[in-house]
Amino acid sequence: MLKDSYGDECKVCLRPFTVFRWCPGARMRYKKTEICQACAQIKNVCQTCLLDLEYGLPVQVRDHGMNVKDNLPQSDVNKEYFLQNVDNQLASSGKTEPGGAVGKAQAPSDVLMRLARTTPYYKRNRPHVCSFWVKGECKRGEECPYRHEMPTDPTDPLSKQNLKDRYYGSNDPVADKMLKQVSEMPQLTAPEDQTITSLYVGGVEGDINEKDLRGHFYQFGEVNSIHLVPAQKCAFINFTSRHSAEQAASGSFNKLVLKGHRLKVLWGKGQGSSGAGGGGKTGERSLPPVPGLPAALPAFDPDPFNLHGAPPTDPKATPTPPRGSSNPPLLPPPLPPLGTATPGPHHPLLQVCALRDLRRPNIMSTLGSPPTYQWIINRGASD
Amino acid sequence: MPKVKRSRKRPPEGWELIEPTLDELEAKLREAEADTHEGKRKVEALWPIFKIHHQRSRYVYELYFKRKAISRELYEYCLNEGYADRNLIAKWKKPGYESLCCLRCIQPRDTNFGTTCICRVPKSKLEVGKIVECVHCGCKGCSG
Repeated sequence: MLKDSYGDECKVCLRPFTVFRWCPGARMRYKKTEICQACAQIKNVCQTCLLDLEYGLPVQVRDHGMNVKDNLPQSDVNKEYFLQNVDNQLASSGKTEPGGAVGKAQAPSDVLMRLARTTPYYKRNRPHVCSFWVKGECKRGEECPYRHEMPTDPTDPLSKQNLKDRYYGSNDPVADKMLKQVSEMPQLTAPEDQTITSLYVGGVEGDINEKDLRGHFYQFGEVNSIHLVPAQKCAFINFTSRHSAEQAASGSFNKLVLKGHRLKVLWGKGQGSSGAGGGGKTGERSLPPVPGLPAALPAFDPDPFNLHGAPPTDPKATPTPPRGSSNPPLLPPPLPPLGTATPGPHHPLLQVCALRDLRRPNIMSTLGSPPTYQWIINRGASD
Repeated sequence: MPKVKRSRKRPPEGWELIEPTLDELEAKLREAEADTHEGKRKVEALWPIFKIHHQRSRYVYELYFKRKAISRELYEYCLNEGYADRNLIAKWKKPGYESLCCLRCIQPRDTNFGTTCICRVPKSKLEVGKIVECVHCGCKGCSG
């Protein structure tokens, strides 16, 4: 490594600073520090690559993730005054602490942790592309220390990067790309149905037991019950309150790892009463298959033509279905012909589902959704 | 600079045998001096000079030490008249420097870490397939 005292001017503040130059390895290009120590410490970035020292992310992404915003002065006199103050501050505080707004607001960010590169990225140390070769004029051939490759597409915004923009965290194409990735990350939206307080947990391997799940989920609020389905490698967590379920969903979605297994967290499917296997609804479980089915129908569609309307959100209406009280004339006649006359794909399933344990929210929800019933009723009525 | 005239001393025996070759090399050197720098890198400009200088000294060295074709007097005469580089030839006599390209490449004071030029690194010590070309004289390796 070579040290050159006051060898170059800082590319941000234009003051001379001590330049270090070194070769990062075989077949790599020489690297050198580009900005001075004070400028680097204000932003807590590397003097060479201008990436954040903790996460290795561009300044813009880091600031976005940490909700940090520092307004560095851009005009000459202001900048000098500011840097003078910073120099004094850094001299007094010791030179290892990050300065600027980043130093004040140190909150670990989940988004940053996920975006951060976990393995070293040696590609940036490769030699630059030989500009003569690109023009077809390189006469050095094999001896040429530069890379004989075509550069990336010049219309690509990533090829237009600029050191100052990267430092100040504005118009950074790399950061834009990363932030776009963040916005496109899957988000877990809570269902509109406020009665849903259960979460589905997928990928539950054999060595994860109920205790482990409870140990993770009790931090978000009181857990009503946990149903493990080892055959399906899944579990359902029922919370007592909607609020704690929401917290658990946002706190565990895409980041729940138990015993080395990455678990998938989703909301339980909404189907009114069963509540994704809600605790001890024994009456429903022992429901008689055939007579129970028509009785449940009117509860779902009190108004059959409002197809796209909101599902019934009244919590009281669903747990106690008014058995055949609201519109009995519609149902009993159409159903028997349905099973025989129209060989629709839904009828066998419908009957099976009635026989099934109601703790299976997935099946129940697909069959129990209003449109399916609507279709059958309409077909049945037309027949 | 104009060519300094040779001393009035009569050239020793055998001079007329080696004179045409030395004159030819001299002419090549003048040509290289006048050559344009267009299209050359900054470091490349002096490479031909170093190369011809090495060639000329080598010619005299081989004649006297290897082929033993010229007399001691003629060899001394060539050195005095500036046809061969006395210091370069002195290096060639030492083990390990038998084919040294130029004196600049063994000048440690000129390098950052007090080492010699990359062309002084033996091929066996370099990584396989690495092609070197030193910046001083364009040498591609003079250390066996």
